[in-house]
Amino acid sequence: MNFIDVNGVVKQYDGHLALDHVDLHVPQGAIYGLLGPNGAGKTSLIRIINRITRADSGTVLLNGREMVQEDIANIGYLPEERGLYKKIKVADEIVYLARLKGMPKPLAVSEMEKWLERFDLTEWRNRKVEELSKGMQQKVQFITTVIHRPQLLIFDEPFSGFDPVNAEQLKREIIQLRDEGSTILFSTHNMASVEEICEQITLINHSRVVLEGKVADIKRQHKKNLFVVNVAGEEKVEPKNGLFEVVPNDDVNGTLIKLATGATLHDAIAHLNEHHTLTGITEKLPSMHEIFIETVQNNA
Amino acid sequence: MTIVGKKSFIIMTILIPFLLILLLFVPILMKYINDKTDSSQIRIAVVDRSRNYGGAFKDNGRYRFELLQGDSMDKPFDTYKKASGRIDAIMVIPEDVLERQQVDLFSEKTLDESTMMYLNQCLTDTLSKAKIASFHDPDLSDKIAQSQVNATIKSKKWNENGEEQEQSATIASIIGLVLAFLTYTFVLSYGAMIMNSVVEEKTNRIVEVIVSSCKPMELMMGKIIGVGLVGLTQFAIWVVLMGIAMGVLGFMGIGGDVSSSPETMGMNMPEADSTVASMMSAFASINWLSLLGNFVLYFIGGYLLYSSLFAGFGSAVDQASDSSQFTMPIILIMMVALYAGIGCMSNPNGPMAVWCSIIPFTSPVVMMVRLPFDVPWWQLLLSIVLLFATALLCIWISARIYRTGILLYGKKRSFKEIVKWIK
Repeated sequence: MNFIDVNGVVKQYDGHLALDHVDLHVPQGAIYGLLGPNGAGKTSLIRIINRITRADSGTVLLNGREMVQEDIANIGYLPEERGLYKKIKVADEIVYLARLKGMPKPLAVSEMEKWLERFDLTEWRNRKVEELSKGMQQKVQFITTVIHRPQLLIFDEPFSGFDPVNAEQLKREIIQLRDEGSTILFSTHNMASVEEICEQITLINHSRVVLEGKVADIKRQHKKNLFVVNVAGEEKVEPKNGLFEVVPNDDVNGTLIKLATGATLHDAIAHLNEHHTLTGITEKLPSMHEIFIETVQNNA
Repeated sequence: MTIVGKKSFIIMTILIPFLLILLLFVPILMKYINDKTDSSQIRIAVVDRSRNYGGAFKDNGRYRFELLQGDSMDKPFDTYKKASGRIDAIMVIPEDVLERQQVDLFSEKTLDESTMMYLNQCLTDTLSKAKIASFHDPDLSDKIAQSQVNATIKSKKWNENGEEQEQSATIASIIGLVLAFLTYTFVLSYGAMIMNSVVEEKTNRIVEVIVSSCKPMELMMGKIIGVGLVGLTQFAIWVVLMGIAMGVLGFMGIGGDVSSSPETMGMNMPEADSTVASMMSAFASINWLSLLGNFVLYFIGGYLLYSSLFAGFGSAVDQASDSSQFTMPIILIMMVALYAGIGCMSNPNGPMAVWCSIIPFTSPVVMMVRLPFDVPWWQLLLSIVLLFATALLCIWISARIYRTGILLYGKKRSFKEIVKWIK
């Protein structure tokens, strides 16, 4: 069952089409990547899902039914442009924003304590937000997003502004939130994080969906018949006409070969075994990074 | 929420009434201090060429006059030099002083205004006495004294029962002006507060988080109502504190007779204190309840109208510094209202006053000036209805601007674009 169903959403700003019949289907309990270059329409779509703006046409279903205003208490949103009141205390800020989402005060306070503890921010609770480092402010912002345990979490570029250690912690928290039952929609340019945590993605380019599906499936669909070959000793793998060519590449540990059209892996292995002592061969699937660039460029 | 929490805000709320009272007493206090501390005597040497009027200038605590004799009379400058600081000025009374009605005063430093006034007074008194004497009519000075008239007009108005009450146009005008000015400053400063808060939320980008929790309209109205209530509370605190402070001062006898009941005073006061009595009675003749009630009503209406405009336009800019192109027109309208209000003081029931107190953009200020002068009820009603209708319209328009504006960053917006958002 899908948690979010966006069907044929169109949004137009001042003669500029921001979203052109966009569909998005996020299964319950998924970590779902919403990808796309700058200005593709991701933020517009997110703002429609969390009802900051209205779609010109199309529907947004939450849990199978039309969304209503009350549903936003069930959404946690971390915008790309982070923002907090700078002049108030960390604890007050978190409790205030939690109560805006309809949390009763005592619960908001006890949850706030828990989260501050979890992010090592307890000693900062009575400091003003502006006194915190950027990384700490990001953590506070994250807490305000998730404190009310929403069923749907929308993260816009969650890792920007985090150092690798904190990014790792954030990743763990996101996965844990998913395990606790939240559905996570996650918009980013950071393809490495997509590969690490997203199960499915939708790629938007020029206001349209250009690619969607499971990450593993997409990678398979985009494979280029590339293999990394390892041979014993200092032997050099030579290309074989009609069977494979050698692709110059410094990034892989071994030799990268590309099967010729019509050739089979079986024939290639037989050939390699005949001329070398083959110690290993693995398929090289394209990274999401490569797929992203390729897709976006083909759609330009 | 962030506004009320500020220490400076709380301090100002409590201090302003005292500051106002202080302001009331500062001129008195300053005069007192001035008189006490400025004890240095001014010494003036008098060269009396008329040989008759040298005695016109009387010594007192502050001034000392020294009649010069002999040689020193011919060269006043040399005498002045010789005295080197012992005298501050030399006055030369010409021979024909009675005809010229003028004396010359020489000094290195310019003498202050009060000295000039004192000298003038002495000279005028003496010369006019001399002139009267020149008519050789022993009764003349008495006749002149008796013909001095100081006419006053005592304005009274009837209440419903036909009882007379003293009223004072001056006091009514002053009260009206104070109220108009209060409305003007309140509406502008709270409007600006709203705008800054809108711009701040937009600049630090929290607005996107907030509107993912509530509707933009709710956020805007929450802000306007919140700050409005803060304003009213602040005003209420001021009224109470001022009341207490004036009461205490009255009790201590410093504040005069403010605390005692005006009615009894009007009756018991001896004739000499009748100005104070009539002032108090004029104070009493004003219907304070309806005045304050109307003030609050107009304040709310004007505040809603202007603050919603401030909020709407505030949402259209990225930084506070860009907001001037939108705030200028608003402030200009408010200033027109204030000047219209001041202009209406002289004729509070004239056509300009009537129209400006009905037009919603100026009425909150101008009507304040007219209120103490008993406005016809239909004008009041029309003006209030119009004001609140316009305020609602402005809120509606601003909400539409706000909804779009808060999420748009980047280039500066023109009025034309904003009009598009409203549609």
